[in-house]
Amino acid sequence: MDMLTLSHVSKAFGKHQILNDLSFSVPEHSIFGFIGQNGAGKTTTMKLVLGLLKNDSGQILVNGEPVTYGQNCTNRYIGYLPDVPEFYGFLTPAEYLKLMGRIAKMPEAKIDARSRRLLDLVGLGGVTKRIHGFSRGMKQRLGIAQALLGHPRLLICDEPTSALDPAGRKEILDILSSIKEETTVLFSTHILSDVERICDEIALLHQGRIAFHGTLESLHHYRSDLAQEECLETSAPIGGTGFEIEFIRPEDTRLFASCYGEGKPVSRTGLMYEGRTEKDMLDAIGLIAARHIPIRKIEMCEPTLEHLFLKITEKTDLPR
Amino acid sequence: MKPFTAFFCKELTELKRTGKLWILILIFVLFGIMNPAIAKLIPWMLETFADSFAESGITLTEMTVDAMTSWTQFYKNIPMALIIFFLLFGNIMTGEYQKGTLIPILTKGLPRRHIVTAKTLAMLLTWTGCYWLCYGITYAYNSWFWDNSVYPHPAFAALCPYVLGIWLLSLLMLMSTVFETGSSVTVSAGVVFIAAYLLSMIPKIQDYLPARLLNPAGILQGIQKPEDYLAALGICLMLSLGNLMLSVILFNKK
Repeated sequence: MDMLTLSHVSKAFGKHQILNDLSFSVPEHSIFGFIGQNGAGKTTTMKLVLGLLKNDSGQILVNGEPVTYGQNCTNRYIGYLPDVPEFYGFLTPAEYLKLMGRIAKMPEAKIDARSRRLLDLVGLGGVTKRIHGFSRGMKQRLGIAQALLGHPRLLICDEPTSALDPAGRKEILDILSSIKEETTVLFSTHILSDVERICDEIALLHQGRIAFHGTLESLHHYRSDLAQEECLETSAPIGGTGFEIEFIRPEDTRLFASCYGEGKPVSRTGLMYEGRTEKDMLDAIGLIAARHIPIRKIEMCEPTLEHLFLKITEKTDLPR
Repeated sequence: MKPFTAFFCKELTELKRTGKLWILILIFVLFGIMNPAIAKLIPWMLETFADSFAESGITLTEMTVDAMTSWTQFYKNIPMALIIFFLLFGNIMTGEYQKGTLIPILTKGLPRRHIVTAKTLAMLLTWTGCYWLCYGITYAYNSWFWDNSVYPHPAFAALCPYVLGIWLLSLLMLMSTVFETGSSVTVSAGVVFIAAYLLSMIPKIQDYLPARLLNPAGILQGIQKPEDYLAALGICLMLSLGNLMLSVILFNKK
């Protein structure tokens, strides 16, 4: 079953059309990456789902129930972590979760037990100082705890890792990964490596519409299709993604280059051969074995998500 | 605990822990003490400056200081107390808009009207406690040093600025649902009050306007009767209720 479904949703602010016939759905118990450039409309989409903004047209369903602007009944299924979460600085984390639990009409005993568990999960167990002394990462973690407090069916996180250091980002992504069995996660980001790390499915929002929706694997296949289309259009031979070799000694690097052909140096002992196919890589392996050249590693290059993102947005850019 | 009660308790905790409550209590206690203190000090001050007044051609006759002097000071200090209250509560809503602290509250399902009502109730309780504390201190000192019993209806007279304060708080809440910054809220509420004050200079309508309640010292002096203020009190309370209802409607659309 789909936990969230948007059907032909549009939203404009004045003359500025932010979302234009947007449709996608999020399967239950998945981690769904919602990516797009800054200003693409990711936060607007999330606020529409939460009933904080009114859509101009279309329908939004959460757990099969329609979303309404204002007092939105479907919010009982949703936990929300806003971008740059702010909390009441004069409260401690436990007091804040107690407040949120009471607002959500949870039983008192359940609030205490659930708060303790969630604060331990996010690494804030035993923290008794008030929130105004918290770092950005600590606030983000408290935000996840408050979003998960009521056992939500759908957790919506708006840019949960932005402005965090690499350690903080890893912590947040690990937490999101660990709760997949309990809930469905929809998180927006413009950091593509986060998507590659934990998402089951992704949707790319571009110019108010979904430019791509599918798994990461299907995205890589899509890129191959795009590459073939480009080659057909330009009559160029169909190339591969290339491969990279890491040698042990610099002299081995020079020896191989003189036999196989010049590649792009990536370090004193590394060479990149762009646009080469798997057959070319096998030929290279044969040459390495024949010449007894020791290597550290040889691997086929995968197209980065960033590259795919740029290709897709180029392809789907509407004429100005 | 119900959601409304939880949010209301949060408001009270905020007042305590941010220090606003203690600042207001201190200020209103000081005012309460200052009113009789200034009255007591006036003869001494006049005696001290009698010579310099004489050089300017001003002759001082013997002045009688009594509880009325203290009550006059009390009603003169009310506008200052209200301004301080406004400045401290001007960002009660706008502060939350700017930080975004209401977003998690709303997404957890707290009805918007509860937010408006809880904040209004917190302001009202604080105003009530501080105002009547100030009144109580002034009344006690006046009873100690002089005699309050010669003045008719002191509590009713004190009720008038209190109700005016309620109207101003409701105005503050209304403006908070319209504007996004604390300064805009304070200025706009101030403008409305000044307009009401200026309109109260028109004799035909002055008895019905909230500004009438600003200085009811005439009741203590026996010049006016409590009945003369009933219309203004009633209209003020109705306006306060209307402001609150409009605040809820506007906040629901925000």
